[in-house]
Amino acid sequence: MTPKAPAALAVALALAVGGVVPATAQAPIRIGASLSLTGTYAKLGKNQHEGYQICEKELNAKGGLLGRKVQFVVYDDQSMPATAVRLYEKLITEDKVDGVMGPYSSPVTEASVNVTEKYKKVMVAPLAATTSIFKRPPGQKRNYVFMVISPAEVYLEGLLDTGVKRGLKTVAVVNEDTLFSKAAASGAEEVAKKKGLQVVFKEAYPKGNTDFSALLTKVKAANPDIVAAATYFDDAVALTRQMKELAVNPKMFGVTVGGDLPEFYDTLKQNAEYIYGATQWEHVLPYPGNQEFFDSYKKEFNHEPSYHSAAGYAGCLIYAEGVKRANSLDADRVREQLLKLEMRTPFGDYKVDQDGFQVAHKMVTFQWQKEKKVIVWPEDLAKGKPLFPTPPWTSR
Amino acid sequence: MNVVITPAMLAQVIVSGILAGSLYAMVALGLGLIFGVMRVINIAHGPLLMLGAYATYFLTTGAGLNPFLTVPIAMALLFVVGVALQRTLVFRVVDAPELSSLLLTFGISIALVNLAQLAFTSDLRAVEYITGAWVVGGLALSKPRVIAFLFAAGVTALSFVLLKSTRLGKAIRATSQSREVAMVCGVDVARIHMLTFGFASALAAAGGALLAMIVAIQPEMGGVWTFKSFLVIVLGGAGNYPGALVGGLLLGLVEQVASLFLTTQLSEVVAYVLLVLVLLVRPSGLLGGRQT
Repeated sequence: MTPKAPAALAVALALAVGGVVPATAQAPIRIGASLSLTGTYAKLGKNQHEGYQICEKELNAKGGLLGRKVQFVVYDDQSMPATAVRLYEKLITEDKVDGVMGPYSSPVTEASVNVTEKYKKVMVAPLAATTSIFKRPPGQKRNYVFMVISPAEVYLEGLLDTGVKRGLKTVAVVNEDTLFSKAAASGAEEVAKKKGLQVVFKEAYPKGNTDFSALLTKVKAANPDIVAAATYFDDAVALTRQMKELAVNPKMFGVTVGGDLPEFYDTLKQNAEYIYGATQWEHVLPYPGNQEFFDSYKKEFNHEPSYHSAAGYAGCLIYAEGVKRANSLDADRVREQLLKLEMRTPFGDYKVDQDGFQVAHKMVTFQWQKEKKVIVWPEDLAKGKPLFPTPPWTSR
Repeated sequence: MNVVITPAMLAQVIVSGILAGSLYAMVALGLGLIFGVMRVINIAHGPLLMLGAYATYFLTTGAGLNPFLTVPIAMALLFVVGVALQRTLVFRVVDAPELSSLLLTFGISIALVNLAQLAFTSDLRAVEYITGAWVVGGLALSKPRVIAFLFAAGVTALSFVLLKSTRLGKAIRATSQSREVAMVCGVDVARIHMLTFGFASALAAAGGALLAMIVAIQPEMGGVWTFKSFLVIVLGGAGNYPGALVGGLLLGLVEQVASLFLTTQLSEVVAYVLLVLVLLVRPSGLLGGRQT
């Protein structure tokens, strides 16, 4: 035999085998993603990854996509935008993946999207809430990136709306001085203006701040009906404790990120009662497939999904739906479908405008009542009534 | 849309400033002692404070002790850790150029933070014990902070008694003034270095233990305390122990008053501008450096 003969034989064999098995034995559709599996976002990035895994498993159980199996190729960006940029470059040029999905967080997405745009890859970015990633100045438009979660600006809308409906007139807005919190605070100001609430105090504080005495002394003097705080987790906890320590008693107090974590209640115990928070998703929401997702996730990973898990899962479903409708992996055809797609996922509604900016998904506002988060806004999704007004600290 | 500042508000933040300043003073005294005695700037001071906070957390939630009872235990534990660190690592850089000691303690600091992340995870934890306020007149006095203030004042006062009136304290001050002369007079300098490092770690631990009842704790909480302590001892005069007290209270007051009149963001700027001013006008700190 010539040296080439074994190879030729192998090819012939492969062809012969290929001829008798169904289409799913074609090479799988490989979807690449860089995720924060270590580093500061590790916990959240892992949840998102698990969301992708549930989606992968489910798609394959239903026969795959376009008749091919789906396979995720995931790398760890250590929560660093620069690393993610390198990894997307590698995924697209070296691994030659068929499609990509978004990384965790706004800053990492903001960096990575430059790569995916360069190579004209559709990227559904399920965990990027910053408007400026999608809404671009003229000449710097992005065509292939799609938003899944609600933008930062609407986080405090439910709190303010609930207050206005009960006749409240004034609000104090405080926020951490970082990208997301700033956007959430300026969004709250906008909403306040629209609803006729007077903003009587507004101040930002630096990241990592632990002493809010002076800030809260001023808030107390301004005596607002509502205190709306655009926070992450540790500042949400510190603000709550120090409001009690300084006897600041608004009729409503709400936070943004962090307030929805079980740890918020574990840390503050009964002091978390009556506090409002905002969340992208809860497993009790009546979206189709939500309960099933919750159950299979819990069974698979032995812990409950967070909204990061659900958004990752839904983002992957949305991309798959786009591919299915386009009947192709071609970026332009998938893009076209994703722009007109309207879909109700287990995470809630998906619909985007011409910039790929999410317009249908709803944030929900909850209140901590007897150790539980009770959804109180919007009314069509509410599971209970808010306990209003919040009693002063001394009579809780 | 901002508020008019009234005398009552000023009084409130002055109280807050003194309460915060007492903790700064106690923690910074530890950093000042190490610098005075060994000429080592201990970057790991903040991470040692973090370990003190976790000691209180685990002794409270795990062993069910009263959190205030855990303060002396945390101090004792971290005294041992401090002595061990000094015996194994820090003694090697006491006579080395200052860059070596900076690098070494920086390395220890990174190691401690990462070990804490591995052992305790980065989840935030808190000891929710006494919360709320005593309202006196128009002033709200935060219960945990007032109690922390009393503890810090007590520990700081005891430290000064120890430094002033005991043989050990005198030996520490003598070593700080001149190591050679202390040695000639029969002071076991190596032992003094070891005990000072242990004692300073215990002061950091006391700060951490009290903070655990005030703020949520996590492995990276210490970093900012290294910087604040450094600021305090430079303000007060490096190597001058009463200077830590003055610097600590001053920093607490400046931060709070600046946050009231300006914003919380600008208060840090004000604190560091103050540092630059003091260095320009009195390079050796407000009370002068290195006398005891």
